[in-house]
Amino acid sequence: MSQARLPPPPPPQWVVSLNSPMPRPSKAASSIPDPPGFSSSRGGKQRQQQQQQAPTKRPEETDALKMKKAWEIAIAPSKQIPMNAIMMYMSGNSLQIFSIMMVLMLFKGPIQGLIGTNAAFAKYETPSTHSRLLGVKVVYMLMQLVLLCLGIWKVNAMGLLPTTRSDWLAWESERQPLERAHFAFR
Amino acid sequence: MRLQAALFFAACLSPAAAIYSDEVNHIDFHHALLGNPSPDSTFFLKPSPASNASLLYTLSDKLLLGAVNPRDGALVWRQNISRSVNSPAHGTGLLRGLDGNDAVLGAVGNYIASWSAQDGKVGWESRLSEGVVGDLELLELEDVTATSGMRDTIAVVASEGTGIVRRLDGNTGKTVWEYKDASGDVPFQVSSSSTEVFYISLQSAMLKGFKIKVTVLDPLTGRQTRQQILNTEADVATPESVLYVGANSASPIIVWTDKSQKSLKVNVIGTKDINSITIDNPSGSEIRQITVHAPRKLNALPHFLVHFATEAGAWAEVFHVDLMSAKVTKAYQLPYLPGQSAVAASVIDANVYFTRITDLEAVVVSSASHGILGRWDLQKPSSDIALHSVSEVVAKGKSVAVRSALFRKHGDWQLIRNGQIEWTRHEGLIDAVAATWAETDAQEDLAHELEVEGHETLYGAYLHRVKRHVRDLEHLPDWLKDLPKRIVSSILTDEVSNLDSFGVAKSVIVATKNGRVYALDTGNHGAVSWGIQAVETSQWNVKAILASPGVVTIYSDDGSSVTVDVSTGEIVSRIEPSNRKLHSIAVFEAQDGSSLATVGVREDGTPVTAFANEDGFLVTTSIDGRVLGWFAKDNKTPVWEFVAPSGQKVVDATARPAHDPVASIGRVLGNRSVLYKYLNPNLALVTAVNEKAHTASFYLLDGVSGKVLHATTQAGVDSTQPIASVMSENWFAYSFWGDVDGSESPAKGYQLVISELYESPFPNDRGVLDSATNYSSTATLPLPHVISQAFMIPESISHMAVTQTRQGITTRQLLCTLPSSNSIVGIPRPVLDPRRPVDRDPTTAEAEEGLFRYAPYLDFDGKWYLSHTRDVAGIKAVLSSPTLLESTSLIFAYGSDIYGTRAMPSQAFDILGKSFSKLQLVLTVVALGAGVTVLAPMARRKQVNALWRA
Repeated sequence: MSQARLPPPPPPQWVVSLNSPMPRPSKAASSIPDPPGFSSSRGGKQRQQQQQQAPTKRPEETDALKMKKAWEIAIAPSKQIPMNAIMMYMSGNSLQIFSIMMVLMLFKGPIQGLIGTNAAFAKYETPSTHSRLLGVKVVYMLMQLVLLCLGIWKVNAMGLLPTTRSDWLAWESERQPLERAHFAFR
Repeated sequence: MRLQAALFFAACLSPAAAIYSDEVNHIDFHHALLGNPSPDSTFFLKPSPASNASLLYTLSDKLLLGAVNPRDGALVWRQNISRSVNSPAHGTGLLRGLDGNDAVLGAVGNYIASWSAQDGKVGWESRLSEGVVGDLELLELEDVTATSGMRDTIAVVASEGTGIVRRLDGNTGKTVWEYKDASGDVPFQVSSSSTEVFYISLQSAMLKGFKIKVTVLDPLTGRQTRQQILNTEADVATPESVLYVGANSASPIIVWTDKSQKSLKVNVIGTKDINSITIDNPSGSEIRQITVHAPRKLNALPHFLVHFATEAGAWAEVFHVDLMSAKVTKAYQLPYLPGQSAVAASVIDANVYFTRITDLEAVVVSSASHGILGRWDLQKPSSDIALHSVSEVVAKGKSVAVRSALFRKHGDWQLIRNGQIEWTRHEGLIDAVAATWAETDAQEDLAHELEVEGHETLYGAYLHRVKRHVRDLEHLPDWLKDLPKRIVSSILTDEVSNLDSFGVAKSVIVATKNGRVYALDTGNHGAVSWGIQAVETSQWNVKAILASPGVVTIYSDDGSSVTVDVSTGEIVSRIEPSNRKLHSIAVFEAQDGSSLATVGVREDGTPVTAFANEDGFLVTTSIDGRVLGWFAKDNKTPVWEFVAPSGQKVVDATARPAHDPVASIGRVLGNRSVLYKYLNPNLALVTAVNEKAHTASFYLLDGVSGKVLHATTQAGVDSTQPIASVMSENWFAYSFWGDVDGSESPAKGYQLVISELYESPFPNDRGVLDSATNYSSTATLPLPHVISQAFMIPESISHMAVTQTRQGITTRQLLCTLPSSNSIVGIPRPVLDPRRPVDRDPTTAEAEEGLFRYAPYLDFDGKWYLSHTRDVAGIKAVLSSPTLLESTSLIFAYGSDIYGTRAMPSQAFDILGKSFSKLQLVLTVVALGAGVTVLAPMARRKQVNALWRA
């Protein structure tokens, strides 16, 4: 006797609907927004895939974008110049703890910026943008130098730079007479 | 806490560079001197009838009248009578006082005045037109007309050919009555008893000698009651022959001797008898001095003592006067003792006591019997001869106590109480003519060692230094022993009093006119460490006093010199005088400043000897007012000669001080550019006056070439007033009394002119020589650019000096002696800046430089007075010396008074102030340490528990 194998029972409805792709929502249904907090994971994946696909598709476009960003960074220090200039002007030339601290901050920023020039533009560094970034970096450095000059101007105004004759007076010596006179007046 | 806050605010508000009241007597000292007290005008006196306290009054040979507290020798008050006397010839003064009468009367020349005995305020004063005051006596008698208040005075006025006896009212000084004696006798003295006034005059005898004439006057009306003439012409040759005219005792006496000093003649005034007493001389040698000591009180017993002094010893005899018969009898004798002795009489009620102080002991006897009431051995027998003394005896039951003010020959005025020396006033210092700061040996050793190290190789110097420190270890036990004491004392006392190790306690060597040398310790309130008689003279004309390590050498104008050890006062060596009279002494300092070579300069300005091994130049002045420049190797012909223009006379010349360091060679202006100072150590400032044209000229000379670098003439100058000048760094200052009657400047009064010298009028410019490192005065010597400014000052300046500090970083003060207000003022240099803007406010740059608007009238700020409230009289010269502290300069002034202080022109920036509490600091550290030790285990436990809980 042979026991005939029974065909497997048809899968339940939820399995079928789980495996089969979701029917395209009707026009009316698609207009209904997703409930808050719901995210369609598949949809997200698709979008990521689309984004990743885009640069690979158009490299010139991304390069232009990177350059734009790099220029923004290069110009950014110049925006601080008017503010710093006003601050330095207002803080006075006397040697006080606040003016000294402000001047120190003014020196610290540009010097750190100059040291970290390459790091600041590392994100936009690609073989294709490398040559074009050079000009951007020069502009960035110039801007930092302008800030540094502002600091030097301030230090000079405070009289801290040995630029005048009096600063070197201690190194000048008294002229010695070759003859000596002794007085007997009493 | 509130108190602290209040104190803090007070500290903030108090004036900046003034002398604080708690520094008085701390950083300064003052010897208010009187001079040698005259034997006749020195006495103890109870100024107030209410109090039993007495003061010691004296009129000195310098005509200074003063009251001294016998307890500590401090001066209570002082009056300078010589200022008030306008008659040219005045001898010694007279001073009289009475117990319970709050007035002392003094007379010098034609000037007579009454001062309150308690505070020295003038009661009345008058100047007699007729003549000079011969004698003065206070009337002790109480007559019916006497009003309450001061006792009246009898004064004898010696006029031309006439003697005038006057009774002056005690309260007003007005004449009550007057008796004129126009007989042509020499007015001599006045004396009084309870009922009569005796006027004693000397009548010239026919051949020679004088007869003593006694005129008896009625004290109420001044009318003559009777007259007696004693035939004394054989004995009395001069007025000085009369030894004593007894004053104010019940039976006043006149004492004289015969010419051979064999017998003593005594007359009780008012009687005709002359008692002749044979002097029985136990020593056999010649009697040098006879003095009579009698009580000066009306109710005292009529006893007196005659003191005989010979060269080797002295004895005394006590006599009693019989009131009825006017006979004088010898009561007893104080035995002959070798050595010197001084006797003084004192009175308690009616009893008379005599105090005899010999070299070894003090003895008190009663006048009635020879029994010794008290005898004390002197604690420190002095070899110095006692000249005279005054005593005050206090009877306590049967025993007595005595205090005597003893004046010794060498100028020490001592108070000896029961044999103990209570205090000593060194009145001899009043004649100080020269002074210098002493250098001690210890500093010299270290300086020498350091110099050796400086010249050796690096390795050799290191070895030398290690050896030196190893050697220094021998002082370690002492140092460790001292350490606790030093720590405690440094915590307890403040910093200001604890600076002796910083060269603040220097000693000063002072030479006086009468040949004495004193050492004063400025670290110990100017106490006299020693005093010696270096030369037996009364006119020691000291020309220079030079300090070298361990010794000072004093040069006199006769070419002699004395070298004295600084620490002991021993005379190390002596150079005998030569015949040449010297005008000044030139000092050659070796390059390292260690050795000094001197050469005398004659009155015509030529150096006595030439120096073969000296390369320097010598600048001298001659007595006829020329300034001469010499090459040290040649003393025959001068290199140059400066003669003031005709009519002008050189009165003074000054140069920069030997120690005059310059901290900065330029002056930084507000815009940070530099005005370079004209610095030349060879500058001399010569003052010349034209007495006819009333001008004073100031010439700035170069000492090497004799070139006049700058000259200025002031018009309308009174050359009889003091003209003081000083020079330092790149500036000079002078003051004079000027009355300019020109239209442009109506300045009249005392002026102070300051001039600054710069290399160029332009900033950042060093003139012709530019950056050359040396220059020769004979080749190219550029002229200075001079900026001057004049200030009107309130009073005259008799002497100027400049504060000196170690490195010259501290701002300088111009030290001015003000003779009319008896003070010393230190004017800060920034105030006397000739660059102060005139007639406008300073610009920002100028204000940054510290300049402020020029004001022509310079009032001496109260904060500038270094002598503050002290009456520093008669200062002739001010010395300044640097200390190891840059901020501090020592100042010493001498001449009449002695005054010393410390000046801190830029405040005490290198000393911890008085407000700094070391104790608080230590306590804070200890409290913090204790807190840490307590809290550390707690915190550790907490951390461990936290770890377990996690």
